[in-house]
Amino acid sequence: MIVRVKNLVKRYGDLVALDHLSLTVNEGEIFGLLGPNGSGKTTAINCILSLLKYDKGEVEIFGRPMAPDAYDIKRDIGIVMQNVAVYNELTVYGNIDYFCGLYIKDKNERKRLVEEAIDFVGLRDFTKFYPKKLSGGLLRRLNIACGIAHKPKLIILDEPTVAVDPQSRNRILEGIMELNRQGATVIYTSHYMEEVERICTRIMILDKGRAIATGTKDELKAMITMNEKITVESFGITDEHISEIRKLPNIISVEYKDNLLVIKSGKGKNSFETVLDFIRKNEIRFGKIYSELPTLNDVFLEITGKELRD
Amino acid sequence: MQVFKLCLNIIKKNLHIMLIYVIVFLAVSLIMSSSMTGTGKAGDISFTGKKVDVAFISEEESALIDGFKHELGKIANFVEIPDETEALQDALYFRKVSYIVRVPEGFSEGFMRSEDVRLEKTAVPNSVDNIYIDLCIDKYFNTARLYVRNLKDISQEALARYLESDLAPAASVEMITNGKENNDHTYANYFYNFLAYSLLSVIILGMSALIFVFNDRDLRMRNECSPVKSGSINMQFILANLLFTVSAWFVMVLLCFLLNFKNSLSMNTVYFLLSSFVFVFCCCGLSYFIGNLIKSKGAIGAVCNIVTLGFCFISGVFVPQEYLGSFVLKIAGFTPTYWYVKANNEIAKLTEFGFQNVKPILSDLLIIIGFGLAFFTAALVAVKNKRYA
Repeated sequence: MIVRVKNLVKRYGDLVALDHLSLTVNEGEIFGLLGPNGSGKTTAINCILSLLKYDKGEVEIFGRPMAPDAYDIKRDIGIVMQNVAVYNELTVYGNIDYFCGLYIKDKNERKRLVEEAIDFVGLRDFTKFYPKKLSGGLLRRLNIACGIAHKPKLIILDEPTVAVDPQSRNRILEGIMELNRQGATVIYTSHYMEEVERICTRIMILDKGRAIATGTKDELKAMITMNEKITVESFGITDEHISEIRKLPNIISVEYKDNLLVIKSGKGKNSFETVLDFIRKNEIRFGKIYSELPTLNDVFLEITGKELRD
Repeated sequence: MQVFKLCLNIIKKNLHIMLIYVIVFLAVSLIMSSSMTGTGKAGDISFTGKKVDVAFISEEESALIDGFKHELGKIANFVEIPDETEALQDALYFRKVSYIVRVPEGFSEGFMRSEDVRLEKTAVPNSVDNIYIDLCIDKYFNTARLYVRNLKDISQEALARYLESDLAPAASVEMITNGKENNDHTYANYFYNFLAYSLLSVIILGMSALIFVFNDRDLRMRNECSPVKSGSINMQFILANLLFTVSAWFVMVLLCFLLNFKNSLSMNTVYFLLSSFVFVFCCCGLSYFIGNLIKSKGAIGAVCNIVTLGFCFISGVFVPQEYLGSFVLKIAGFTPTYWYVKANNEIAKLTEFGFQNVKPILSDLLIIIGFGLAFFTAALVAVKNKRYA
């Protein structure tokens, strides 16, 4: 077990930011912390790293209690902050070298690691650039390189893809998976469910500082009643149509808004064919029609009654 | 020493702004240096008798008056003025002459008979020249009267000869300054006073930039996540600041040595160095305070200019304290630069270095240290408030 958090409580006055949060992260995992803004993801990370004092609970990393002066533990942790934290006075190379130098004393080894990190994040052409000259995506890559250059055993990435273009985002996610393949355990926080779904082996969904569900993405999806979501771009749907669809077998909810008919069906038999038959029989005009499996957003919606991005 | 190296890099990145202040300082120092070359300051320790412009009008000719004119000529330049009331008054008014002496007809004969005769004089009232010539005239005729009273039937020629020989000896005057060599510290005084502006500017710019970067929350957290002990990070940061401030001070005082080497080898210089070093401590406190207060990097330059120019203008750095109003000086008393300039002005006048002579300077320096400590305390309070805000 790489990280063990037990009953962590953090209060800001009357606001409970973390409410008896418990989690475990196993070696070799990419552990995702998913939740909307303000759900306590960053607070949890800061408490785990002892950057914030917490009111109650225990944090262990590598089987040892984590504390502000646990320098031996810190040596094997890489952190990528939510905000880009680099020195504007140093070049790309200088920044990576500085942060790597906080962990690695040997000059030659450090040089090798810095070079590797530069290649890893694809900043080879920008080594002499100052951060102010870099685009948002390149800055994020630099931010990551500063956190991972020393080859840590545990990498904590706090929303590393915020405000990043799709191309850079893709590269960052590929990079995280590669780091994991190389042996690093990763804790990844995000409010983008697609990212978490794509890279994380195990996911914890947070809301208002509480863990509302934990498991693999399949385990999480299995927790909810919905099995399939059918979306139909249709025109002239009446209330009578909606009532009749609700009466179809295995249908659990029907919504019609902005010419989009969204039908959710429960576990068991697929309902796509049934819905299609109904549309044809009632001569309803329709454009696109497609079926989707449940997403983590649906999991979040069903458990909390609100969208992840609310 | 990653943090130490980082600090030096940050300073290096801001060096060009600081260099502007150093160049301005150097330029002013060079101008001062060249303007003070050959101003004849060495003359301050030699003595030359002064000669007064005198109009000498004699209505008679005699051996006594000739002797008197000869004697008066030793301390007077005789200026020819027409013997007309208006011309004489104009000459006096326009300071063409400072003294008019008229010998009335029959003066010599009356004097030889011991009668109460008088010379007529017109002079600039209450002037030094007036007293100077009066003393000379009194000396001549008082001595002459002694001969007339004691040597009956002495001739005017004989009297004039005696007087010439009696009044010939002159005292030699030598200027001494308590037996010490009196070096000229005017340049050093000006230099070290102006140093307040440059040092304050450079240290505020450099240290505030460092503190501002290190106060960045995300960067601080990232550093705290590393295995480097927070004590080590703080120590490296303090060390870098010390190196920077001492280097800035050293470079600037070195300039003074180079530009004013001749007068630099004295005890006064040691005190100038001490006062400037104490002032550096105060600058550090002020910079630490400013660095912790400002919220944007762009504000550093503006705050630096306001503080340094404000302090220096009212404290006598640019305009000597003697020319500043008492109200301005009272306000300036609340700035460290005032006490620094005051200490420098006192150091420049020092010729004796006993405790009693140095005491006022030491008390000025203690006040500067007090300012420094106050700034550090205020900065620590600001840091604490910020952290718990």
